[in-house]
Amino acid sequence: MILLAAKNLARHRVRNTLAGLGIAVAAALLLDMVMLAGGMERSFERMLLSRGFQIRLAPKGTLPFDTEATFPGGAALSGTLRADPRISAAGAVLGGALFTRVGDSLLPLAGLGVEPEGQGLYELERGADLVPGDTTGIVIGASVAARTGWKIGDTVRLSGGTDPQVARVRERRVMVRGVVHWLYESRGERTVGVTLPLIRALTGRSGDRVAMIMVKVARDADVEPVAADIRRLEPGVEVNSVATLIARFRTRLTYFRQLSLILGTISLFVGVLLVSTLLTITVNERLGEIATLRAIGVSRAGIVRRVLAEGALLSLAGNGLGLVLGLITARYLDGILTTFPGLPAAISFFVPERGAVLRAALALLAAGTLAGAWPAWRAARAPIAATLREEAT
Amino acid sequence: MSETAVLLEARELTREFRLGGRAVRALRGVTVAVRKGEYVAITGPSGSGKSTLLHILGGLDAPDSGSVALEGVPLEQLGDSALTRIRLLRMGFVFQRFHLLPVLTALENVELPMAEAGIGRRERGSRARELLDYVGLSERAGHRATELSGGEMQRVAVARALANRPALLFADEPTGELDLTTGRQVLDLFRRLNQDGMTIVVVTHDEHLAAEASRTIHLLDGRVNGSSPGALAP
Repeated sequence: MILLAAKNLARHRVRNTLAGLGIAVAAALLLDMVMLAGGMERSFERMLLSRGFQIRLAPKGTLPFDTEATFPGGAALSGTLRADPRISAAGAVLGGALFTRVGDSLLPLAGLGVEPEGQGLYELERGADLVPGDTTGIVIGASVAARTGWKIGDTVRLSGGTDPQVARVRERRVMVRGVVHWLYESRGERTVGVTLPLIRALTGRSGDRVAMIMVKVARDADVEPVAADIRRLEPGVEVNSVATLIARFRTRLTYFRQLSLILGTISLFVGVLLVSTLLTITVNERLGEIATLRAIGVSRAGIVRRVLAEGALLSLAGNGLGLVLGLITARYLDGILTTFPGLPAAISFFVPERGAVLRAALALLAAGTLAGAWPAWRAARAPIAATLREEAT
Repeated sequence: MSETAVLLEARELTREFRLGGRAVRALRGVTVAVRKGEYVAITGPSGSGKSTLLHILGGLDAPDSGSVALEGVPLEQLGDSALTRIRLLRMGFVFQRFHLLPVLTALENVELPMAEAGIGRRERGSRARELLDYVGLSERAGHRATELSGGEMQRVAVARALANRPALLFADEPTGELDLTTGRQVLDLFRRLNQDGMTIVVVTHDEHLAAEASRTIHLLDGRVNGSSPGALAP
């Protein structure tokens, strides 16, 4: 039956190829919308959990690194948290603008002060990591290495201001300890990492203020109870588990998801219309042939199966092509969207998740097959004698 | 008429159509009987109700009133599935325009009703080849329907009609689309089939074809206007 359906579709190659391409475009759009609807959320979650830190502490009323706000007692608090047996790692983070000279020009750098004993911002790629108390070391990302030409072991100058007076006071000679991969760095950003005391010295900040604390909960402990306990311990600090952050992120993306859903539904509907229209034309053209099949003893169910098989085959071919087209367009669009300034490079808008892609493909196949239901029903119910009579005249 | 058992019997058939808002009475109380082994030609001018009668006799259409029974089974009492099954297994149809599936080969077209009847691939292939050989087209078995001439297509249609060993073969203007020579081949085929025991009911304008029949039923204005033994009448 599938072979017969394929042969029937091959009778009008150009028409069916064009329809197949139309279905492919609709399928590609649906696939992209499915990837877009959940893609950012999944990508965001993956990024937040990339080093296994499930809790973030930020200044009250803010999200981590959403503002430049800081909260007091950060390093002390992270030390207290590290002493909790349910917590396997915790580290405070403080950001600040740093500068260095490359030739005659002043190069701005995004500086991050970390506690090496509990940092969740980078992964070491080459060289050595910072160690607690290291006030002369620096780790750099590949973008900084490329721009400055710094190598592991080089001694370089860093300062915390552009004003010559300030720069002179705060300038430090530091050694490049290692090259790291920054997990939250945006495209074009040049990030360097130093220890918390060094960033304070470079940026001239006194006191124990930090922008964020990242907490990794031990394997045998539950995240939410730990987060709740930290909230009770530090009511002046915003404590969010990754699950909470994802939920807040999801709320922000509600309109985005609704748009994806609407566009996805429209594309599914367009696919159904294409298959349905094409099969209706095909059935109308072949009513005489169908009446003959009925006359020689092919059952109504047999006719329905034949028409549905054509719809399914057409959908399958269009959807197969649409899958490839969808992945290519998603990659292309992702390339454009992820260049937005300030957006972490690890964030993707279109994430091809196997389950979602499979669900979309099945929905398309089912819709394509069902799209043949009306033409199939018409074909099966066509009056045999009247159709044959019309064919003969 | 011989004493052979009645295979098909129709009583007081009426059928009315609406054409352009006007009622057309295609059949006005037609009663006919076809005995086993008969070769019946239904003739008459255009619009006399020949094809309508054939469609009703073959279970392709239902009469407004009257009854049709095949081998004693009243067709009007059957549902669509049962009627379709009877058409598949007990009747064969040949149409003026052949109506072969153009995407299939001659062999596959002949196999089609057997596949629908659930006959296995090997058996139906073998029987389809036998039938194509019977109609003189064994060398054309692998050709698509579109690659055959009109006469060849009609002979493939006859082979297809015989696929499930029907009790009765219906043909609606089987030579209508053929030239004299190829029409002749179909006539010869029908004669041979009837000689081999096949009961045939054929609607035709073709005098030669009608002359081959053992009996001719002449229709005029939806009524039987006479019945005469043909050249092959026993």
